[in-house]
Amino acid sequence: MRRWSAALAVAAVALAAGCSSGGSGDDGGGTAAKPVTLRFLSLAWQKESVAANKQLVEEWNKANPSIQVQYVQGSWDNVNDQLVTSFEAGDPPDVIHDDSPALAGFSSRGYLLDLSGRLPAALKNDIPPAAWDTVSFGDGKGGQGVYGVPFLQESQVLLANRKLLDKAGVRIPTPDSPWTWDEFASVAKKLTKDGAYGVAWPMKSPVNKVLNLALNFGGTFFTTTGGKTTVKVGPQEREVLQRIHDQLYTDRSADPSALGMGTADPLPGFFAGKYALVPAGVYLRQQVAEQAPEGFDWVTLPPLKGVTAQQGATSQTLSVPADGKHPDEAVKFIAFFLNGPNQAKLAKGDWLLPTSTSAATDPGLTTGENGWDVATASAKDLVVAPYLKVNGFDEWKSKVATPALQEYFANKISLDEAARRLVDEGNKVLERYSQ
Amino acid sequence: MSATRSLAAARPAGRRPSRGFSGGGGTLALLLPALVPVLVLSVGPLVYGILLAFTDARSGRNSVTSFTGLANVADLLGDSDFWGSFRVGLVWGVSVTVLQFLASLGLALLLDQNLRFRGLARVLALVPWAMPPVVTGLMWRLVYHPDAGLLNALLGTDVDWLNDFSLALPAVIVVGVWTGMPQTTVVLLAGLQGVPKELHEAVSVDGAGTWRRFWNVTLPQLRPVIVAITSLDFVWNINQFSLVYVLTQGGPGGRTRLPMLFAYEEAFRYGFFGYAATLGVAVTLVVLAVLGLYLWRQAREAA
Repeated sequence: MRRWSAALAVAAVALAAGCSSGGSGDDGGGTAAKPVTLRFLSLAWQKESVAANKQLVEEWNKANPSIQVQYVQGSWDNVNDQLVTSFEAGDPPDVIHDDSPALAGFSSRGYLLDLSGRLPAALKNDIPPAAWDTVSFGDGKGGQGVYGVPFLQESQVLLANRKLLDKAGVRIPTPDSPWTWDEFASVAKKLTKDGAYGVAWPMKSPVNKVLNLALNFGGTFFTTTGGKTTVKVGPQEREVLQRIHDQLYTDRSADPSALGMGTADPLPGFFAGKYALVPAGVYLRQQVAEQAPEGFDWVTLPPLKGVTAQQGATSQTLSVPADGKHPDEAVKFIAFFLNGPNQAKLAKGDWLLPTSTSAATDPGLTTGENGWDVATASAKDLVVAPYLKVNGFDEWKSKVATPALQEYFANKISLDEAARRLVDEGNKVLERYSQ
Repeated sequence: MSATRSLAAARPAGRRPSRGFSGGGGTLALLLPALVPVLVLSVGPLVYGILLAFTDARSGRNSVTSFTGLANVADLLGDSDFWGSFRVGLVWGVSVTVLQFLASLGLALLLDQNLRFRGLARVLALVPWAMPPVVTGLMWRLVYHPDAGLLNALLGTDVDWLNDFSLALPAVIVVGVWTGMPQTTVVLLAGLQGVPKELHEAVSVDGAGTWRRFWNVTLPQLRPVIVAITSLDFVWNINQFSLVYVLTQGGPGGRTRLPMLFAYEEAFRYGFFGYAATLGVAVTLVVLAVLGLYLWRQAREAA
């Protein structure tokens, strides 16, 4: 027994010595040429987009032997849980792909590096102020900062079955003269016949969709007075809610059985001619282009217009952690990764809109093919989503707003009841965060 | 000294080794290798968790943690989401445990019979046990899938099982029962094989039918096993996390949000570490109370 444990101890010591000598050997021998390794947590998931990401990383690694980037695949499903744990443990990835709603929470907790003053002017000027607004947050100590570089944005458009539109003889809208919500309602009614519905509203995750569209009528859902944010559901906020509800239960031009669906779920019905219109984010065009049966004629319609055509926008972002070991190298990599030509590649890969103004002129993003021209044109009406600046929005969304809106659209509660819950229960949630 | 003396005294007597642990540095040194992991890996985190429950600890680099006494408990008692989640937890814990017990008892009785291919059947009954909860969850998510799911194909229905407000919890409970059946079955089967054959024979001679034999012989003989396995099952079930996390993440609208999922969300999604710790402590207390009551009643009835 004793001899064994002695042998084990010797082995352990030898191992430890081997490791540490290996480490110090690197330190000593490397001097200036020692490459820095950055871990880049990417959330790209569509095939083309993953390919574009990896290709850019490879390009960078070839051109910069002293700063090597390691591509780490993450997933939108659990990225925020993963990041909280890695931030708390003090070992976050060096470059973090996420979106602006998440940054709002992280920045107020001090996890992220303030990038203002660190970014090269070329990058700063290529992205318009409206997009920078989606990544500017309080630092939790009374200051303000820029906590990421915004690069991909999404607008809500309508995907339409052109054959059904032509048959009903409705006007095809253009970016210069889009449908108003009233016109949309009457068109949807016209398209509802022979067992087909005018529109399918997939409302499995209704909150962001409704809040982004609510800006059409100036609905912000939150108001801040004296540093205290509260929920507000007034006539402006009710417009879009009421109009969607009317389509479902008054006009009966929207299919109630689509309510439980996720964004992509109505596509089989759309291809089969069961739904003439599907409201969706621009990225859904990719799946339509890929999965549509031969000869299916579809068209991307510009965003609806209420009082304005404005929609709330969030961005996908790249950030640097406050505890990162190589912030300067990380910023350099981001500046390369998100320059105009590269943003155009990433936007094409994800079928989203680039924030870069030079990328938006890329011929691939302005062609009429697959609705790119309409999609890219819709970027001009994107403004920062008001809820981005609300501390505690995530909890409000999952605990209060999602169930309340789902029950309202399922016609289980009235609009007044939904509004009451959004406000009363919502304010209770927000209070936790104002302490 | 006393240790060596008592050891020396014990040796001739032969069968009283336990007195050797009455004290002395030698015993402690022997215990240490076993004690250190327990202290570091079990007791340490437990104490830390309990302490955390009395603070306002939050995630974040610039958050300052201070002692807040019972403020978290007060918040908890007034939190309707907590009570909702707690109710879901109880419904889940009790129904899964009861259904699991009934189904496993049936299966165990069947496997105790002298069937053909009994060995194979026993192995098959263990299969769910061999699967990690995440795999089980993914598999059942495919079964419940609204478009491509096995269940809708079999029933010819078009139901989104895991996203329906009233069906989600029952659907998840079915998976819970399925997952937990093997260990319950095995334990009950072992218990059944310990029931003396003579008893059955004796009652048969007295003219008792199958049902009588089951009710008056098998069940009372199994009682200690049943008490043990149902109480263990209850603890496991109410603390279940991974299975439901994979299946529904607590949705739709919190209808399947078990207490542990709720605590996880509070801690890692919203960053309220102190509050989440209070939740953990509260659930532990409730489990202890329920178990205490149950075991006490069982012990009293058995006596």
